[in-house]
Amino acid sequence: MRDTRRSRIVLAILVLVSITLIVFDLRGGDGGLTRPLRAVGETFLGSAERVMATVVVPVRGLLDSLGGLGDTDARIAQLEADNARLQAELDTVANDRARVADLEALLGLVSANDYETVPAQVIAVGPAQGFAWTVTIDAGSRDGIERDMSVISGAGLVGRTIDVGPTTSTVLLIVDATSSVGGRLSGTSQIGIVSGTGRQDSLTMQLLDPLAVVDVGDVVVSFGSEGGRPYAPGIPIGVVAEMRGTEGQLTRSAILEPYADISRLDIVGVVLRAPESPPRDTLDPAVTGGG
Amino acid sequence: MPVRRAVIVAVLLVLAVLIEVTVLAPLPFPGATPSLVLVVVVILASQFGASTGAVSGFAGGLLLDIAPPAAGTIGITALVLTVIGYAVGRFAESDDRPWWMFAVLAAVAAPLAVLAGAVLGGLLGDPRVRWDEVIGLMVSAAAYALVLGLLLTLPLRRLCRWVVPEAYSR
Repeated sequence: MRDTRRSRIVLAILVLVSITLIVFDLRGGDGGLTRPLRAVGETFLGSAERVMATVVVPVRGLLDSLGGLGDTDARIAQLEADNARLQAELDTVANDRARVADLEALLGLVSANDYETVPAQVIAVGPAQGFAWTVTIDAGSRDGIERDMSVISGAGLVGRTIDVGPTTSTVLLIVDATSSVGGRLSGTSQIGIVSGTGRQDSLTMQLLDPLAVVDVGDVVVSFGSEGGRPYAPGIPIGVVAEMRGTEGQLTRSAILEPYADISRLDIVGVVLRAPESPPRDTLDPAVTGGG
Repeated sequence: MPVRRAVIVAVLLVLAVLIEVTVLAPLPFPGATPSLVLVVVVILASQFGASTGAVSGFAGGLLLDIAPPAAGTIGITALVLTVIGYAVGRFAESDDRPWWMFAVLAAVAAPLAVLAGAVLGGLLGDPRVRWDEVIGLMVSAAAYALVLGLLLTLPLRRLCRWVVPEAYSR
């Protein structure tokens, strides 16, 4: 064939360039030689993804609602039942609310509203065959977002920002195999490391105290990092679904079910600033016991 | 590469990357994400030969490697798709093949790309690679690539002929 020699040379050159890129990317780390390439991707492809999302996101919402048409009747019945029950409960709430306000003032508790967040829409997801659990959101450095900020959804902790472009950021989700978060069992104050497993529905928590008493159903919240970065304190992560290993063993771990539904992320919030007084101080058993 | 050919290759690849990460990846497909970029590379290679196939594979792979939210090692997808683009181009040059042959070729290449990505990632120490999922990803990737190939081969071939008629005059 006429082009065989030329195409072989092209192949050889491109394979060499690819391997060179791989080596530079692996050796360089964050400030490496491939950093400008990623910046180009963030700036140009990120902006293009935003444009795509303005079309795609409404369509996705429409498809979702079409998919749910079948069980609308069942849902209405369910909601009516819930409504009646909640109405009954409501009568007792006014009384409770006054008591809660008093208690909150007493304990200095901070509500979730005290997290200063920037709302963002998930616009792109990494291909599954890459094994990485990352998403792109449509907010970037122009919205005040920086590297290593917590990302939350209405349900709980979602992840942290790992790359920030001008108008988009990349979020490393908590279920990614390279993600680890300091976690605390609310109630007992036992702490541990919550790591992703690469599966969307489970996390593992390595407990630091081998004698810790942990029950299925216990709630795990973020421990909080120095200065609230990358993880702000007190954000619910998940609930203990299973214990691994027996008490007293050198390492014990729990399997957690994350609160945030990682497969259906839509609107998330990026925590710009954690509350002044972190919830973990006020939830200390000594304080609550003394109060 | 002539200018018109470069333009059509670039436009198709950028569109394919954008659609793959904003449309296909968020949809709850079981297993792998349908690899639109790979299918487009296979079709371009089948139309324009091995050199353009290799260049398209490299460009498409590199775009996938750097398009947010990519977190893997830059260069792995580029390497894998370069080789696939070249191989398909060589196959297409040898003689006249029926059009659906390239959909089948995409369905063969897609699981190989998944496997190659996992092996390369594993060798380079990527802690994310889950070997228990690789088989499922390969099977689903093959099925999606076959469907995309059957849907896209004829329209894209017509588009290529319309934009770059001189490539077909030989």
